[in-house]
Amino acid sequence: MDSINVLVIEDNPLERDELTQVLEKNGYHVVGVAASYNEALTLFYAHSVDVVIIDIFLDGKPDGITFAETINIVPNACKPFVFLTFSKDRQIFERAKLTHPFSFLLKPFNELEILYAVEMAVEKFYAQTNVFLTEKENTVISNDFLFIKKKDSLKKIAITDIVYIEVEERYCNVITENEKFVILISLTKIIELLDPSKFTRTHRNFIINTDKITEILVADNLILLKGNHKVTLSDKYKDFIHKFRILK
Amino acid sequence: MIRKWVFFIVVFFITASILKANDFDRRLFFENEINKVAIVFKREIHFKKAHFYFQKKNWDSTLVYSVKQLNSSNTNIQLNNFSHYMRGASFLNKGLFSESKNEFKAISNDFPFQYKIKIAKGIIALKQNQYTEAIAFFEAVEKDQACHHDIDKSSFYHNLGLCYFHTNQLDKAEKCLIKSSDLHSKEKDTVQIISNYMDLANLYYEQYKDNQAIPYFKKAYQLSKKVNSFELKQNAAENMAAVEENRKNFAKALEYRKEMEQWKDSLNDQNKVWAIAQLEKKYAVQQKQKEITLLEAENKIKIAERNGLFYSSLSLLLLLGTSIYFFRQKVKRNKIILAQKEELDKLNATKDKLFSIVSHDLRSSVNALKTSNIKLIANLESKNYTELDQLLHTNSSIANSSYNLLDNLLNWALLQTKQLYFHQESQHLFSVIQQIEFNYKPLFLDKKITFSNTVSKDVFVFVDLDSFKIILRNLLDNAIKFSKPEGKILIYTVDSDDEYCTLVVEDTGIGMSAQIQEELLKESVVLSKKGNSEIMGSGLGTHLCKSMIAKNGGRLAVESKENIGTKICVSLLKSEHHG
Repeated sequence: MDSINVLVIEDNPLERDELTQVLEKNGYHVVGVAASYNEALTLFYAHSVDVVIIDIFLDGKPDGITFAETINIVPNACKPFVFLTFSKDRQIFERAKLTHPFSFLLKPFNELEILYAVEMAVEKFYAQTNVFLTEKENTVISNDFLFIKKKDSLKKIAITDIVYIEVEERYCNVITENEKFVILISLTKIIELLDPSKFTRTHRNFIINTDKITEILVADNLILLKGNHKVTLSDKYKDFIHKFRILK
Repeated sequence: MIRKWVFFIVVFFITASILKANDFDRRLFFENEINKVAIVFKREIHFKKAHFYFQKKNWDSTLVYSVKQLNSSNTNIQLNNFSHYMRGASFLNKGLFSESKNEFKAISNDFPFQYKIKIAKGIIALKQNQYTEAIAFFEAVEKDQACHHDIDKSSFYHNLGLCYFHTNQLDKAEKCLIKSSDLHSKEKDTVQIISNYMDLANLYYEQYKDNQAIPYFKKAYQLSKKVNSFELKQNAAENMAAVEENRKNFAKALEYRKEMEQWKDSLNDQNKVWAIAQLEKKYAVQQKQKEITLLEAENKIKIAERNGLFYSSLSLLLLLGTSIYFFRQKVKRNKIILAQKEELDKLNATKDKLFSIVSHDLRSSVNALKTSNIKLIANLESKNYTELDQLLHTNSSIANSSYNLLDNLLNWALLQTKQLYFHQESQHLFSVIQQIEFNYKPLFLDKKITFSNTVSKDVFVFVDLDSFKIILRNLLDNAIKFSKPEGKILIYTVDSDDEYCTLVVEDTGIGMSAQIQEELLKESVVLSKKGNSEIMGSGLGTHLCKSMIAKNGGRLAVESKENIGTKICVSLLKSEHHG
C-alpha cells in the first residue's frame, strides 16, 4: 500500500510549509511544491502525481486556474485537484468552475478541512461520490489505482499489483504478491469498475488478475497465481478459460 | 305622277308594318322557349344579358352580349341557335339585312323555330324589294299550320298582302289585306288598322276602284284623328288630298293639303322640339356631368379630409392611450420607488447602526488587545510567566472573536452585493461538523464545555459548503457565548422526513424569552441588546445565518427556555433528492 502523491502549488512560504506539514502528518506524500505556473507544470510532468492542491492566486495572478485549465485539456493527464482561495469572488469562481470537476477550499482552513477537500476531490474526479465518508465503503477505483481510506488518510494500491480479490460479505481482501489488504466496497461495484479484460471472476467470492495466472488446474478446480496463491475455480465461471489459447 | 306618289306611301307603311310584325314575333310560344333556355343556362351571364336587352329591344346591347356568348367556351347548340337568332333579329331591326341573313344561316337545322326564320327572311326579302322571294317564304309559313298560333297573323298577312300588291297579284293582295285588317280590328290596334286601311285603299285606288277605295281612305283619315302619330295623320291627310285632287275637288284637296302641311309642320316642329329637347338634354346632361365631377371632386376632398381627421384622431387617441399608459406606469413606478426608498432608508439606518456597533465592537476588541499587550509587555519585563500565559489566552480569544466578526462582516458584504459564489452539492454532514468543531476545541476547553457530535454518519446534505460552515460557526459561536461554563453543547440530527434532515444545536445556556425568539425569527436585522448586558451582539451573525439557511433551501426553528437552554433546529435538504 503506497502513499498518495500530492503536488502543492502555493507561493506563500508560510502556508506552503503548513500545508506540507499537515499532509505529511496524515500520510500523504508531497512530491513537490511549486510556487509558479511553470514550476508547477515541470513538477507535474516530472512526477507521478495523484492529487494537486492549487492556490488560485500565484503572485497576485490567477495562474492556479490557468494551470488547472492546462492539465484539464490534456487527455489522461488530468488529476484530481483542489483549489485554495481566500475569497469567494464570483468572477474567479465562474472561471474556475469551467475546469470541471473541481473542488475548492476557502482559506483559512484546518487540518480536517484540507483532508476532507482532498477526499472529495478524488471522489468527484472518479465520479464515485459519497464513498470515503460513509462506513459502508472506503475505496475509489481509478484505471490505475485503488484509492483506499485508512483512518484519516488515503492510500493507494496499483491495480497491476493485485493478484486476486477475495470477497467476504461487505469486505474485500485484496491480495498483492507480497501483501494483503482489507477494503470496503461492494462486489457489484468492484466488478463494474475493474477492467474486465484483466480481471475475471472465477468463483462466487474470487476475482483474479488474469495476468498473474501461472497455472490452471481444471481437474482440481484450482488456479495457481503468482506468489503461490491458490484460487478456487467454480463450474459456473469456467468459461473464462476459453479466452486463453489452449496448447494441446 | 299621282299614282307614283301614292305608291311611295305604301312603301312607307311596309316599313312600319315590318317593325310591328317583328315586335310581335317574339311573344307567345317563342318567348316561353327562350325564357326556359335562359333559366336552364343561368350561369351564362352573357346570354342572360343578351336575352334581357333583346326583350327590352335594345338591339345594340343584344348584339354585344350575344357575340360575347358566342365567343364564350360554352358551345351548346341550343344556346348558339338562340344567340344567332337574337343577333339576326337585331340586325334586321337595325336594317343590316345581309348580316341578318348570315346570322339566320348560322342557325342549325334542328332549331325548332324555322318558321320564325322564314318570316324574318321574308321580311328581309320584302325590304329588299324581292317580292317573289318574300312571297315564297311567307307562303311556306302560311302552309305550315302548326306554327299559326305563334305568329302575329295580322302583321303577317299585312306583309304578305303588300308582297302580292307589289307583284300585281291584286286579288290575293286584297284578300290578305282584308284578312289583316279584320285581324287588326279584332286586336283593336288603331295604328295598324289605319295603315291597313290605307294600304287597302291604295290597292283599290290602284285598280281604279275609287268607290271602294275612298271609304277606306276616309275611314283611315277619320281614325287618324284619334291617334297621336303625326306621320299617320299626315299620310291620311295626304291621301285624302290626293283623292280630292283626282276628283277635281280642289277646294277640299287644298284643305286636306293644308292639313297635311300642318301635320308635316307639326311633325317637323315635333322633330325640332325633339332636337332642341335633345340638345337641352345633352346640355343638361353635360351640366349634370360637370356637377357630378365637381361633386366627385368635392367628395374626394371630403373623404380625404375625413380620412385625415380619422387618422389624426386615431393617432391622437393612441398618443393619449400611450401617454396614459406611461403615466400610470410612471405612477406605479413612483410608488414602487417610494416603497423601495423607504425600504432602503430603513436598511440604510440598519446598516449605519450595524456599522457603529461593529466598529464599536472592533474598537473595544482592539483596545482590549492593546491594553492586554501593554500588560503582556509589563509582565514579560517583570518575568511574571504565570500571568503571561493567561494574558496570551485572553489575547487569542479576543483575536478569535474579532476574526469571527470580521469574517461575518465580509460574508455579509459579499451576500449583500451578491458576489458570493454559491454552489450546492452533496456534503457529508458529520465530517463538516467535525471540521468546524476542530477550530472550536480550544474554546470548549477554555469554557470547560462538553461538546458532543452525534450526527448520523450516513447523512449527506445538499448545501453550499462554505455558507453551511458560516451557519455552523455562528450557531456554535452563539451556543458558546450563551453557555455557562461547564455547560453542554450537543449537535445531533433528527430525521424529520424524506426531503429534510433537521440538525439540532442544543445548549444548556441562558436561553431566550419568547419575545427574543420571535424577534430572532423576524425577517429584518435584529439589533438589540441581549438579555445579558455583558453579552452584546450586532445580530449580524444571526442575520447572516438566517439568510444562508434560506439560500440553501433550509428552514430555521428555535426552541428555548430561559435559564434552561436553547435548541436551534436547522432543516437541511437531503442530497438524495438533489444532484
